[in-house]
Amino acid sequence: MNGKAHALLRLFAVQGAWNYERMLGVGIGYAAEPLLEDLKAADPVRHSEAVVRSAEFFNCNPNLAGLALGATVRAEYDAAPGPQVARLRAALCSPLGALGDQLFWAGLLPALVGAALAAVVLGPAVWAIVGFLAVYNLIRVWTAAWALRTGLAAGMGVGAAIGGSWIPRAVPRVGLAAGLMVGLALPLVATWYLQPFGLVSAAGVGLIAGAGVVAGRLLGARMTGSRFALLAIAVTLLFRLVAR
Amino acid sequence: MTAPLVLAALLAWGTLVGLDLVSVAQAMIARPFVAGSVAGLLLGDPAAGLRVGVLLELFALDVLPVGAARYPDYGPATVAATAVAVGSPWELSLGLAGTVGLLVSVLGGWSLQRLRRLNAAAVQRHAAALAAGESAAIRRLQYGGIVRDALRSALLTALGLAAAWVADRWLLLDRRTAVALTLVVVGAALAAALGGALRSAGRSRRRRWLAAGLVLGIALAVAVLR
Repeated sequence: MNGKAHALLRLFAVQGAWNYERMLGVGIGYAAEPLLEDLKAADPVRHSEAVVRSAEFFNCNPNLAGLALGATVRAEYDAAPGPQVARLRAALCSPLGALGDQLFWAGLLPALVGAALAAVVLGPAVWAIVGFLAVYNLIRVWTAAWALRTGLAAGMGVGAAIGGSWIPRAVPRVGLAAGLMVGLALPLVATWYLQPFGLVSAAGVGLIAGAGVVAGRLLGARMTGSRFALLAIAVTLLFRLVAR
Repeated sequence: MTAPLVLAALLAWGTLVGLDLVSVAQAMIARPFVAGSVAGLLLGDPAAGLRVGVLLELFALDVLPVGAARYPDYGPATVAATAVAVGSPWELSLGLAGTVGLLVSVLGGWSLQRLRRLNAAAVQRHAAALAAGESAAIRRLQYGGIVRDALRSALLTALGLAAAWVADRWLLLDRRTAVALTLVVVGAALAAALGGALRSAGRSRRRRWLAAGLVLGIALAVAVLR
């Protein structure tokens, strides 16, 4: 099968046409095109059906989309019945979404951002930023290549391949690292900002931070961090206006 | 007055980081501390860019971009906020810069929803071609989505830079108000990051690791930064 390198490159734009109709579907169809090219000559009818299926509704974490792409393309080449390929695709949405989100958005990314913020405060910022970009991108490019390779090798057996892979084991560990690194970064960043202001101002900032956390816990998704900030800014400006 | 070449570079950088958030690459150049540092470098004040970037990064740590979640777009917002902060002491400008950044990020989040609806409308227009298995239709949709996001990001950056110019020129805060605003924004940013970390930790073992990190961070702050 040709086109693996092209498909891998296209996976980095898998959310290019993200929409509420098919979510990642169009992006997966776009990434599948070079992989399905060989099928065109061998079985044009099957190729046409495979192209239709490749762009149907799909959603998962973009970093693990290669697993679904590889598995469904393999299944098309193995002449698996069309409805079976569609069911495989639908079945992969939730696990790849949950695992990928936990691994990347709730794990690796906050862990590396926390480490980078601590490094910004403690050392040369430029190396913190370069190091963050290098480590994150090395891991996610490697993961994308592994995911595509594993999906293409496993086909309909991709569920077992995922279950036996490093991903389910890595998720809790990366989550713990994220907790540690974000926890480490926060006091350092707070000190970095509050050093010039003195203890009274720092105590005031602590009160605002505490109020923000409590408001977030009490009101949930209605009180996001940016909403609380805009509310606090509005109150401050109003207070200053009245005080003048 | 910012030179036209610098403005063009900021616009290009804002477009790139806007694209990076979702559509192309997701290489994390859209993270505020990265976007702000580069914007600061372009404006000749990398330290200001870093201060603004780290501030908005704390807000971004509150966001979990899962599934069809709605979230602010902090990349182009950080570029605009950096334009507010450069050239004056950060203790006085960070509050106003953060305010502009937050407002632009909310506008960016709204524009992402519009983009996703426009992409869905394009999919509906190409429904027959998709049902016929035309690869060209998939390519058109994909490239169309990316072009729309590039336009969205460029427009958002341009609006943000215009807001920065207005804030810089017309919103002249007295010293006490400027400092108060900076302290309030820093407090709210710390609340956002800590709230996000607590939510992600839930009641699992991760909460203990978060607590351990906080203790370690306080010890380091006392030892190294006092």
